[in-house]
Amino acid sequence: MSDIDVWLVIILLAVATFIARSSFWLAGHHINLPKRVQEALRYAPACALAAIILPDMVLTNGEVDVAISNPRLVAGIAACAFFLVKRNMLMTIFFGMAVYTYIRLGL
Amino acid sequence: MTETISAEMEKAAYREAAKAGMPTLFGVGAWGLVVGVAMIKAGLTVPQALGMTLLVFAGSAQLASLPLIAAHAPAWVIFLTALVVNLRFVIFSAILAPHFSYLPWKQRAWLGYLSGDISVGLFMYRYPEPGFDRRKLPYLKGLIFPNWTAWQVGSVIGILLGSQVPASWGLGFAGTLAILCIMLPLVMNKAALVGVAVAGAIALASAHMPYKLGLLIAVLAGMAVAMAVEEWLEKRAHGNNSNGRDGQGQI
Repeated sequence: MSDIDVWLVIILLAVATFIARSSFWLAGHHINLPKRVQEALRYAPACALAAIILPDMVLTNGEVDVAISNPRLVAGIAACAFFLVKRNMLMTIFFGMAVYTYIRLGL
Repeated sequence: MTETISAEMEKAAYREAAKAGMPTLFGVGAWGLVVGVAMIKAGLTVPQALGMTLLVFAGSAQLASLPLIAAHAPAWVIFLTALVVNLRFVIFSAILAPHFSYLPWKQRAWLGYLSGDISVGLFMYRYPEPGFDRRKLPYLKGLIFPNWTAWQVGSVIGILLGSQVPASWGLGFAGTLAILCIMLPLVMNKAALVGVAVAGAIALASAHMPYKLGLLIAVLAGMAVAMAVEEWLEKRAHGNNSNGRDGQGQI
């Protein structure tokens, strides 16, 4: 991406933050989301985040790679288990990076 | 007399909030650091990364945008993705905004913009009920100002650090792990779990689609399936409770 394109994206992302965080502050009394829509919205962020990281963990050069030698997949699963037990983001990132590095360097 | 008393009350509320938010600041700064490193490792220049952290101020949306920027996805796809990832803030702001509806719109706009996950959580813990209380505004400020500062300091350190650390360390993967840690608490029930599985599977299957369109399809499908599962589970629970033997007879 060219420098200008990246800056355009940055501006758009700032707009996305503003829309999400400030819309109800500015127009809350005019907006009335139907209950069904509100319920559906609750599921959207988790789905989006999963759709972003899963290909990152599973694909190697665009091909599905579920071998034990795939460091991103193994570290991702290990980090997942670690987080569910410890509930601590920073420790999970350190732990996941340690597993990732360990497998990647073939230690 | 009353003026000075209320000014004291407001200062005390600010200090109380700053104290309540203190334990989270280290985590916020470190999280900013991870995002800072990830922005550089995704190929942003130092000025671009600084601009992003100062203007966007939304870690998960920033992280989500990085692989898309690296893959040269079109700007509108990146924008829509950030909106979807930010949807939780819409719900937060709907909860928080009624407390401050008496303020002028400019002030409401920037207060909303600066209210991230942790600040909303801590505020709602202290003031669960809406309604006017002059301590609420200083309390919110006492949460969001230190939060903003910790985040930006962490981010700037990450950006400067990221440009020094060689790519071979694989630090970019820390961004993926960070997204994982944001995603897991959002999977709050069985319906969400099924939705996430469907979204993930479709994202994998459609990874070759142009413009990262597979991402948007994956999100829509995941949402739809989660809603369907929720409805099905509710219907089943409802059937068991209220219909009893009659319900079974019908099946």
